[in-house]
Parts: sequence; C-alpha cells; structure tokens
Amino acid sequence: MKKRKILDSERMFTYTIFMISKYKEKISKFYHKNKRMPSYSEAMRLLDFKSKNSVFKLVDKLEKEGFLSKDSKGKLLPQNMFSQLKILGSVEAGFPSPAEEELSDTITLDEYLIDNKDATFILKVSGDSMKDAGIVQGDMVIVERKITPKNGDIVIAEVDNEWTIKYFRKIGSKVYLEPANKKYRSIYPKEELKIAAIVKAVVRKY
Amino acid sequence: MQSINLFDFPRAIIHIDGDSFFVSCEIAKNPKLKGKPVVTGLERGIVSALSYEAKEKGVKRAMRIDEVKKICPDAIFLSSDYETYSLFSLRMYNIVRRYTPAVEEYSIDECFADLTGLRRSLGMSYENMASKIKNELDSELGITFSVGLAPTKVLAKIGSKYEKPSGLTVIKGRDIRLYLEKTAIEKIWGIGPQTSSFLNKFGIRSALQFILKDKEWIRKKLTKPHFEIWQELRGESVYKLETGKKNDYKSISKTKTFTPASRDRDFIFSQLSKNVENACIKLRRHKLSAKKIFFFLKTQDFQYYRMEIKLSHATFAPNCILNAISGHFEKIFDSQKLFRATGIILGDLGAYEMKQLDLFGRTEQEEKFAKIFKGIDEISKKYGKHSVFLGASFQAMNKKQHKNGRGARSERKSNLFNGESARKKLYLPMLGEIKD
Repeated sequence: MKKRKILDSERMFTYTIFMISKYKEKISKFYHKNKRMPSYSEAMRLLDFKSKNSVFKLVDKLEKEGFLSKDSKGKLLPQNMFSQLKILGSVEAGFPSPAEEELSDTITLDEYLIDNKDATFILKVSGDSMKDAGIVQGDMVIVERKITPKNGDIVIAEVDNEWTIKYFRKIGSKVYLEPANKKYRSIYPKEELKIAAIVKAVVRKY
Repeated sequence: MQSINLFDFPRAIIHIDGDSFFVSCEIAKNPKLKGKPVVTGLERGIVSALSYEAKEKGVKRAMRIDEVKKICPDAIFLSSDYETYSLFSLRMYNIVRRYTPAVEEYSIDECFADLTGLRRSLGMSYENMASKIKNELDSELGITFSVGLAPTKVLAKIGSKYEKPSGLTVIKGRDIRLYLEKTAIEKIWGIGPQTSSFLNKFGIRSALQFILKDKEWIRKKLTKPHFEIWQELRGESVYKLETGKKNDYKSISKTKTFTPASRDRDFIFSQLSKNVENACIKLRRHKLSAKKIFFFLKTQDFQYYRMEIKLSHATFAPNCILNAISGHFEKIFDSQKLFRATGIILGDLGAYEMKQLDLFGRTEQEEKFAKIFKGIDEISKKYGKHSVFLGASFQAMNKKQHKNGRGARSERKSNLFNGESARKKLYLPMLGEIKD
C-alpha cells in the first residue's frame, strides 16, 4: 500500500515537471513570436488557466527557477528562457521527458520521402502497366524533376502528349521504356524521349 | 555621346516573370495542352490568363469567355486552380532565395531580387547567377520564366519583358541606351497612358528620348514618381526592394462576382457577408484588426454603389462588421437594379491587442469574440475553411457561385487522393493522372 503511494507521488511530480515544461515552451513561443513577454491576462489565455491567480503562482515558480523575472511594476521579463531546453535533461528527480537530443536524429515522413521539395510533384496512377512493380491504379507517385535518369529508374515520361510511368532502360546509347506487366510492350521512342521526372516514392493510403 | 552610366552594375537587380504563368502551370500539369490556345478564368467568365497561341488569335486578358468563343472557337477553357498557381509561385520565391535573401514577392508570377555584392561569395558573375536561377526555375518547375538583370528595378523589368517567352536579358549600365532606344515610352513600368500621351506631345516616344531630357525639365513638367522613374532608367537605383513577407497590409479586400445577377436583397447581403467573413479570416491570420470598412455593390452594367463606415473600435469579428454594414446597406441597395458582385475593403489596420476597457464594455465583448473566433479558426484548420459560418452568409455558402460552367471546379478539386478533401489537399502540386 505504502509503495503505491510513493509511486503516485512520483508520477504526480513527473507530471508537474512535464506540465511546467509545456508552459515554458508556450511562453518561449509567445516571446519569439511577439518579441515581448505576455501580460498576465494573455498568459492566462495562453496557458488555458482559469484564473490570474494560477498565473501568479506559476510565475513565482518560474521566477525561482530563473526562467523569467519581474520588473518594478510586476510585468514579466525574459530571463534564462532559452538554455532551459538543455536543463530539462538534468532534472534531478523523476524521469526526464523523452530527451530532445535523442529525438533530434529522427526525420518526418516528409523528409523521408522528399529530397528537393521545390522540384517535387505528385501524380495519380491510372492503369496497370506497372502492376508487377507494385504500382497500381489510384496510387500516388512522388516525383522529382531535374534529375538525369539512370538505367532501372522508374520515370514519368511524356508519350503522345500523355504522362506515362515505366522503367527507364538504357543499353549503350539506346534508351527505351519498359512496363512491369506482360500485357504491355516496351516503348521505343522514334524521336527524343521526353522524361519529365523520376519517381522517388509511391504512397498508398488505405 | 557619352554613356548614361559608367558602371555595369552599381547594383544588380533581377526581375523574374513567369511566362503566361497560370496557363503554363496548367500545361505543366497536362502536356496535351501544349501548343494549343488555352485560356483560364472559366469560373469567372473572364480571361485571367492565356497561352501565346490564344494571344495570336486576338484573345486578350479580361475578355469575356463568350467573346473568346467567337474569335477563337477552338480555345480550351479551364477553371483557375489558384491553389496550384500559388504552390508554383512559392517555389519560384524559394528557388531565387537559394541565391539571395533579398527577394521581393511582387506578385503571384513576378519577383525582384537583389544580387548586389554576391559575386565573391557565390563565385560567379551576375550574368551567371541570373542564368543559373533561370535554369533552376525552368527545369525544376517545368515552366519557363523571363528574366531581366539590370542596375535598377525599372530597368530589370524592361529586361524581363524584352524577350518573351523564356528570355534572359542583361542590361549593363553602359548599354542602357541601346535597350531604351527600342523601348516605347508607354511600355515603361509606372508610366501610364496619360503620361505617355503627354510626353508624346513633346516628341518623346522612346525611353531613350525620355532619359535624355534634363533633370530640370522632368521636375518642372512631371511629378515626383516620374522623376524617380527617370532616375531608375538612367541606372540610379531609387526603388528599394520590399523584401519583408507580405503581411504589413494597408488594407484587405475581398470581392466576388456571382451569376446570374440578382435583385434579391437577402441573397446579395449574404454574398457580402461571405466576403466579410473571408476578409476577417485573412485579418485574423495576420493578427490584425480593422477600424474602417468600405463596402460596395456592383450592378450588371458595372456601376458601383459604395459606402464607407468608420467603426468606433477596431475589430476582427465579421459579425461586428456586418452589424455596422446592415445599418447602411439599404442606402446603397436598390431593388430595381440587377447586381453581379459585392465587395468589402477593410482599412485602418492595426495589430490586434487587448485594449483598455472602454466605457461601454466593448472590449469585454471583443474578448468573447476573440475566444469564439479562435475556436472557429481552429475548426477551419482541421476541417477546412467555412466549416462554421455566420447565418447571414447561409445563402451564399449553400449555392453555387456561378450557374452552368462558371464556378466549375478545377480539375484538382475533383481528382482527389484517398484521405484528401476538396478543402484539404496535399501541399505538393499535382501533375494529373498517368495513363498507361
């Protein structure tokens, strides 16, 4: 029974630290955006507090921590707001929240799928000529312009004024487009082969 | 005769102009349109952009669609897809910013950039920078741009127009006169038909003749802006680039045409209400409030009925603005007239801040509205614009803006991916469908 209580208070403590770091983040963001500290009523809205009194209590706590300070009229001043993120990891008691440092090596799906954002476009697949490459009707392909295709790349080419998606094949100086479906034939260009973009990813949302 | 300007690039300004931008974006999406007379603006019934092939047939901007059909029966009409155009536009700015942070986002299809002093850090000449920028724009976006490089903004703009489409014109200080000789006075940015016909009377027809007039003459006969253009044309840079993000708005306006034209007071009011809501959404996005409102109704024969109201306190809430309007709406509304458009302009803008409580407790009310509209904006962010709207806008929101083909959805809006909605789409431009 006693053990449980300790756990609860520990959890409570961790939770408080967590919330305070959230509040700090919000205040820092406000400061960044507006180039000034919030007033008490602004802070109340910002932090979703029900009363100004709770803002005062938080401000006291943050003042003791050296996160912020007050001027002679009681208005808020920034203090040590920006080194705060690092201190987070070294809070003595409780469990530190997931460390920023650990997460800084992760990337978003966007970053994973897109290299040159300004040259990246999407298209919708209709038809089944690339079915054996796992690209089917309704799929979204993410493509990038301005890359020279290599043998074996999947490309978007312009054939008879339509977009087509095929494997790019280059044997010696001969280039052609190869489907991934036995029902279709390879396309050997009569004149210049117009490659518009290279397929970088296929996205299918269910 | 001596050179006008002895230095090649006292400053190096480049102007970039998308070649028939809207139509080019459409062709980038659909290669079938290449080489055909293409016109955008179907949803408004008025040409907003046209391909060179359409231009050759005599089609002009702002022409009515039914007129175009007469002179160019094989024209292809498209509804504007402003979302895609805006995405292309942002990319244009981004690509130019790879070279310099000093970029002025002049309009959706044009920008200026200042390259002065970058030769050493980029290790290339201004000409090379200009041609590399153009090359990256053309190849990464799949549409062409015309570029002018010169010592001033006005000259750079002459440069980008000099050879279109897909030109790159470099006007060095020393060569100014060669280019201005071939530039008619009315083609200069900032010189209108009034001024050019005035100058014609003094025998001034080319830009060169204009800059050869002496300073005193220009100052005596013309106004200060014209004197500035005169300086710019001579290679002295006077116009600064406005490189800030465009959010220091002086006014915000929203206008929308509807068809068929209407006499129905409530319907017309709801159209105005929708515009007010849209203007306020923009207002709030930029954390502004307005103190002056200006609204108008436009009749079928293009007459304007307008009115200006000064509010007692600044606001960002459409209901407050509509309250103010409703007291005056009847003064300009005439049930005998057929109206085709409504519009609102919000002026006297200021940063939205919590004000001192005034005598009538207005601020308390504003604070309430601040909470409500914060909620509404959050809902819109999640579910799309106009998920929640005022009752006053109901008729306008629930009816197509245009009958028949007008108001037709752009292709992108009807060709969605699983998980997208007409209001919430991916931020990457879509190039259409791949056929086998």
